[in-house]
Amino acid sequence: MAVSAQYFDGQSAKNQTVSVLEDGTNLRFSGDETPSTVWTISGLHAVDPPSPGQPYRLTHDDKPGARLIIRDGNFIATLVSRSSHLKGGYSKSDLSHIFGWVLGGLAVVAALGYITVALLPDRVAHMMPESWRNRVGKQMETSLVDNARACHSPAGDAALGSMIGALAEGTPELPPISVHVYDIPILNAFAVSGGNIILTRQLVETADAPDEVAGVLAHEIGHVFHRHPEAQLVRMEGVQILASVFTGSSGGDTLTSIAGLAALLQYSRKAENEADAYARETLTRASIDPIGLKHFFEKIVKLEGESKKVSGSFAALGNLFATHPGTEERIKEITPLPAGITAKPSLSDEQWKALKSICG
Amino acid sequence: MSESPNPSTPESLRFEYVPRPGLFKLTVINFLLGIITLTIYRFWGKTNVRKHIWSCVHINGEPLEYTGKGVELFKGALMVFGLFILPYVLATQGLKFVWGEGNPTIVGLQSLFALLIYLLWGFAVYKARKYQLSRTLWRGIRGTLVGSATTYSLTFFGSMLAKGFSLGWATPVMNTVLQEQIIGDMRFGDAAFKFKGRAGPLYPTYALCWLLSVGVVIGGLVFFSVEIYNWFGPELIAALNRVFHLENQPPPTDTDFWSVTSIFGALVGALISFMLLIPMLWAIYTAKEMRTFANYTRFDGAQFKLDATTGGIIWLAVVNLMLLVFTLGLAWPFVVQRNVRFLIDRLSLEGAIDVDRIQQSMAAIPTRGEGLADAFDIGGW
Repeated sequence: MAVSAQYFDGQSAKNQTVSVLEDGTNLRFSGDETPSTVWTISGLHAVDPPSPGQPYRLTHDDKPGARLIIRDGNFIATLVSRSSHLKGGYSKSDLSHIFGWVLGGLAVVAALGYITVALLPDRVAHMMPESWRNRVGKQMETSLVDNARACHSPAGDAALGSMIGALAEGTPELPPISVHVYDIPILNAFAVSGGNIILTRQLVETADAPDEVAGVLAHEIGHVFHRHPEAQLVRMEGVQILASVFTGSSGGDTLTSIAGLAALLQYSRKAENEADAYARETLTRASIDPIGLKHFFEKIVKLEGESKKVSGSFAALGNLFATHPGTEERIKEITPLPAGITAKPSLSDEQWKALKSICG
Repeated sequence: MSESPNPSTPESLRFEYVPRPGLFKLTVINFLLGIITLTIYRFWGKTNVRKHIWSCVHINGEPLEYTGKGVELFKGALMVFGLFILPYVLATQGLKFVWGEGNPTIVGLQSLFALLIYLLWGFAVYKARKYQLSRTLWRGIRGTLVGSATTYSLTFFGSMLAKGFSLGWATPVMNTVLQEQIIGDMRFGDAAFKFKGRAGPLYPTYALCWLLSVGVVIGGLVFFSVEIYNWFGPELIAALNRVFHLENQPPPTDTDFWSVTSIFGALVGALISFMLLIPMLWAIYTAKEMRTFANYTRFDGAQFKLDATTGGIIWLAVVNLMLLVFTLGLAWPFVVQRNVRFLIDRLSLEGAIDVDRIQQSMAAIPTRGEGLADAFDIGGW
């Protein structure tokens, strides 16, 4: 049964009244001003889904600019019930297009993310000249210690110096190291950019033997050796840039920050393992008993049960206890000196006393 | 083209917003797919919302059609990302690493970039409008802008300078000039829009809003300082000193905390009411400008009329704000719908137009959409 419809040819805004017939495979229409036209139903596209009270608009592959507008409810219902591609919404090819673009976009983001997080930081960190590393390190140190008092005593400084000397011996490729003790009431040690290592007063005072401090220092020197603080800085900067550029102006920031944070944490865990391995080697080379470090770690685990304290901002640094999962495994990895190497005390009794009382 | 057998008759145009169901569903789908695709789907989401809302705008019973594609917006955003944002961010962040923060060269570079954004703002507005018009069909005929985006962006930049240097007083003139330029470039098929009128009639309203705003600010400041002094006077100064541990004062008492808290409360309250009151005042001018500009606009000889009122604009803005705040921005499709509806419900065209005579324009149509406007977060409507 023919129904009346409107036709716009895409060339003129003229409203052409046509009469439309449908036979299951083709749509035929013609009118006073419209030559007889056949549109295959398979080539039809619905401009929008059929909706009561709204005209139903069709277009065809043969003439993408033209529009056939039908208002007869029964005609629309019959047509749509037989041809599901006329229900409006995305067609299969639309969906595969969108899927392709979105996937392509995600792939680009993933590639950029991989470069930012995995490839670049280590390289950039090793290329950074001494002067930048130091400048950035000083900034980090200042903001980290937040006006806390730097502890010094001639004998204490000398004791630290001798410990560093023993640990750094035999590794000429190690960048210059400087260690500072600060009067900070938390138990921690950090390596920041430029070979600067920070020990807290509480750490020095909690240690029961010089080997424990030596073990911690060896771990932090491991961070310095691998340029972890510098690499993590580059990584954080990169993740931030990527997140801000990628999400553009509208929303999604939280989502990408979470993804970025996960990537950062993953890398600090890897850094901890590298620093642990470095500490094991160094202690063996310097004939210092690694059991000191083991004891110290165990002490920390006990304390940690009482208070959770390492805050997020420290994650950027070569933080001694960053990324808690796996502390137990890390302890297990520490083994005594190999047979044939006799442990040497890392400090004499007087030196140890001087170091313990460096903060007065 | 071919001559019609019977001469067409001019018709008068009626605008109507006929809602159809489905916007809520679109909003939910956009949100979910946005999460899955790490926000990349937003370009398709925006397109679908426009398709929906455009199809609800009926002119003489014939709905508009939005023919834009998500991928066009995506490509536009990629262009801006690659050519503009990424190089800038990499350069400034890289240099920050080399030279440290606050280095004069970096500050210079950042200022230069800010200047570039101001220069390009008008360009982005023009291009976005052009894209949207070229993707808007009515009776199978699309719109477009036929002028130069560069010319418009220079005018736009000049207008920002003029507004700034004149403490706002150049606004009516500059807005009129800008509107004349963009409406004068606007086409529907081969039929042109025209904009003609002076800024003069806008000035009494502008002066009223300007003076009222200045009055509100000065009056508010005087009122609050006098009140604060009357309430507390030297007592308050002493309490502030104690609370903030200035000059070896005795420890603060509970009353001290109360008076200091209430003062800060009053100040914050005052600030918020200024922030709401002053935009509300300016709605008087906005309504006047919208009505006047509509009157100045002609399409094929017929004259537009827009029945925008101050109260209507305030209500529109307040509800939009609430919608966005309480849904954390998720309800933006409804904000677009409300804005379009506000215009369509109040818009009329006086005079008859020979629509049948209008032919499709052969002007080239843009292939990418709105990259810059998207980056600057310029709303389409």
